[in-house]
Amino acid sequence: MTAAVAVAEKQNRYPPGDLVIWIFILAELLVFAAFFSAYAFTRMNNVELFNEFQQNLDRQAALINTFALITSSYFVVRAVSAIREGNSQHCVRWLLAALVMGVVFLVVKGGEYSHHLGEGINLSTNTFYMFYISLTFFHFMHVIMGMVILAAVAIKAQKGGYSAAEHTGVEAGASYWHMVDLLWLILFPLVYVMR
Amino acid sequence: MSRQTKFGIRPCTWVYLFLMFFSFVTFMIGQAGLSGLEVALAVLILALIKGQLVGHYFMGLGSVRGIWHWPVFIWLFIPGILIGTAFYLSYSTG
Repeated sequence: MTAAVAVAEKQNRYPPGDLVIWIFILAELLVFAAFFSAYAFTRMNNVELFNEFQQNLDRQAALINTFALITSSYFVVRAVSAIREGNSQHCVRWLLAALVMGVVFLVVKGGEYSHHLGEGINLSTNTFYMFYISLTFFHFMHVIMGMVILAAVAIKAQKGGYSAAEHTGVEAGASYWHMVDLLWLILFPLVYVMR
Repeated sequence: MSRQTKFGIRPCTWVYLFLMFFSFVTFMIGQAGLSGLEVALAVLILALIKGQLVGHYFMGLGSVRGIWHWPVFIWLFIPGILIGTAFYLSYSTG
């Protein structure tokens, strides 16, 4: 088996990026799966309460945030494609565009929190808001974490730290960011739409 | 992911457009105030399909063979079943 074939074989057997980041991603996904299930089963015994207060949520803001995260994820896919072609500058530009979308998410979500806090809503207002605030804020923190990772990857890429042959860091950061997007794609319909 | 289709559009771009469109559909369902078990399950299934597309095309698991091909699919399947069951029970007991 030639070295090139061996590398291709290895790439086909393992996900993009470092295996450690995937262990971390799986752990995060499991925690959110427990949260989502807890929300659904708690709702089962409080259907009227959940349906009533779900109507108070800003669904348009949630849509903007959904668009922002999907778009940022797409930009990150393009960043990975660029570095695989050895184009560091394009990779950096796509990563910066993804970060801008991340900022959009934080600003819109921050506005939502500000609105709720202004109405005197907090974790102890009722069971629905306890889940809404906990779930979305936990996800909010993951967005911030993802942005820190993407920024670190962008800085290293800017310095020429990645190449077409070695770009594990870009793929690892991208995988984490896609996880953040994936979580929101379930969270958005579950909390804002399903009733 | 960098392959071009015959229309000159990358597969990831098609997936992106699909995700955006069906997120808007989900939003419109919410705006219309549609409710009921069938609607909830349809929205859930749509979300699971979108999640699988992210795993397959964006995370790159579609081109991975063996056990690492499946983690996102399995992750979507388990909470999907649990959430679906909870909504089913909330309607059947309510």
